[in-house]
Amino acid sequence: MTELPASKLAVFADLPALPGRRKRLVAGVSRAWYELRKSRTAFIGFWMLVVLFSACIATPWIATHDPIKQSYRERLAPPSEKHFLGTDRMGRDIYSRLLWGGRRLVTIALLAVTFGLSLGIPYGVLSGYFGGKVDTVAMRVVDGLLAFPGLLLYLLIVTLAREWKLEGIYNDLILVFALGFAFTPEVARLSRGTTLAEKQKEYVEASRAIGDGSFSIALKQILPNIISPLIVNATVRLGYVILIIAALSFLGLGTPPPTPDWGSDLSAARDYMETAPLIAAFPGIAICYTVLAFNLFGDGLRDILDPRLAER
Amino acid sequence: MLAYFIRRVFYLVPVLLVLTMVVFTFVEMLPGNIIDTLVGTEGVNDPEVRKILEKEYGLDQPVYVRYVKWLGRAVQFDFGKSLVTRRPVAVELLQGIPATMYLAIVGISLSMLIAVPLGTIAAVKRNTPIDYAAQVTSLIGISIPEFWFAILCVLFFALYLGWLPSSGFVSPFVDFWGSLKFLILPAAAIGFRQAAYTTRLTRSSMLDEMNKEYVDTARSLGLAERKVIFKYTLRNAMIPTITISGLQLANLLGGTVVLETIFAWPGIGRAIYEAIIQRDYPLIQAGVLVLGVIVVSMNLLVDMTYRLLNPRVKFA
Repeated sequence: MTELPASKLAVFADLPALPGRRKRLVAGVSRAWYELRKSRTAFIGFWMLVVLFSACIATPWIATHDPIKQSYRERLAPPSEKHFLGTDRMGRDIYSRLLWGGRRLVTIALLAVTFGLSLGIPYGVLSGYFGGKVDTVAMRVVDGLLAFPGLLLYLLIVTLAREWKLEGIYNDLILVFALGFAFTPEVARLSRGTTLAEKQKEYVEASRAIGDGSFSIALKQILPNIISPLIVNATVRLGYVILIIAALSFLGLGTPPPTPDWGSDLSAARDYMETAPLIAAFPGIAICYTVLAFNLFGDGLRDILDPRLAER
Repeated sequence: MLAYFIRRVFYLVPVLLVLTMVVFTFVEMLPGNIIDTLVGTEGVNDPEVRKILEKEYGLDQPVYVRYVKWLGRAVQFDFGKSLVTRRPVAVELLQGIPATMYLAIVGISLSMLIAVPLGTIAAVKRNTPIDYAAQVTSLIGISIPEFWFAILCVLFFALYLGWLPSSGFVSPFVDFWGSLKFLILPAAAIGFRQAAYTTRLTRSSMLDEMNKEYVDTARSLGLAERKVIFKYTLRNAMIPTITISGLQLANLLGGTVVLETIFAWPGIGRAIYEAIIQRDYPLIQAGVLVLGVIVVSMNLLVDMTYRLLNPRVKFA
């Protein structure tokens, strides 16, 4: 959040009282909207995300077929009125599979990133706030984790999940855990860095003077002020996480069939690339669209939240 | 400098230890044990055989003893035998390393050949259609899944046009020109994708540098714009680009699993992938360890190079 200059704050000086909670909310939203419109990338990304999330939420109502129901009479059918995007090698409706697969993929990605944030932020903020030896040790650990090649970790964990014969929700949870855990060190380092800068500021000193405890200052006062770079980072990370999940299931290490999954659907479509290239096209386009939406929005947000960079 | 280097190497020790522990625990956490897999493939289920095998693989000892013993052997590149081919794991892995390095180095060089000129032009011609085109292309580039891009390349160049083989590998030492044919598609798939990142980076670091005072000084001295850009600005702007490319190279050495699988490239990534599919645990274990060590030491190397290129960074 950028702070208002003193000249603008002066306007509020003779107001009787702070506006009510609802009014502040409305003002906040309209301000955010105004800022959003300033960045074309963020604006496009925002609408792409709106479409994506609407599709994910509305999937049960807008999907036309059962995504795993096979129909051998309609194998590899071209797009038609009955099957908007045609059918795959088992006669399953591609449009419905895309919707259900996307819903799952986006949910896993969101959970994973949230998990990473909820581990990494307290870790980084507390480490930065307390400083000293605690900080040194904590950051050594983070450096060590950052040096760890991520994809290898996923491969190991996914293999374990397969050997334990985890299915359905448990398989997805393992993925959430692995991807979230791999995101944690990055979050920790970022939130520590901003906390270091933030803790020098006067409001921190003020709350200390009032007698607030360290934990309370770190988490209640500092945290809200360092959140914006984290939001940007998390948005971009969402795109990355989606690419990783898709790559893993493309390799056949994701959720086993017949669960609709963009990566494994794409992989299965390879065998029919010459006769029915469209089957391979749709999941690919869907992944691109989703990742692009997150990247655009993240890029735009960065420009909005850090005006110094926007000049570029 | 030397002291810094030694300290960094020292910091690597815990990282590598954790890596070995993770890799070791991985096999420990598998359901059943290695003997089941072995017996399964050999088709014998004789308690006598089991006992002998357990002894051979040291499974009659406690975990920590096995870990230390395993670590001692791993340091000497003795990772045991592959469960599938029954050959030493180290041999299987070492065979893959040259192919992976070949692909990764060509891919990264290609990406720099694309990204540096493109990023520079985009920065110099900021806010022109060229700049927008470069930005949009690179944003799309980082959003495309690499396997999909690779498949599209295969579809177009191999199946539709028939210009290039869709997959395979020939060693450049056997037939240099023949090997290029197989190299083009995978290297291009890596190159374009990495170029998308590097272009963005080159552009923004060029813009950073162009705002600095020494550029104004050079211009006010009457130097030609071309000279200002290429002789002074680009040189400084290249520092982050080279660093990131080095890190990308490190990651590629450990992460071309997907592309190697698509293009049947006999690298270390595909070896690990096949090991996962065939449940060849010693190979997975050793493969992840070796790749981890490569990535970690490459990162250190890149960091040291960065500091050599940029003397302003203190060896703190």
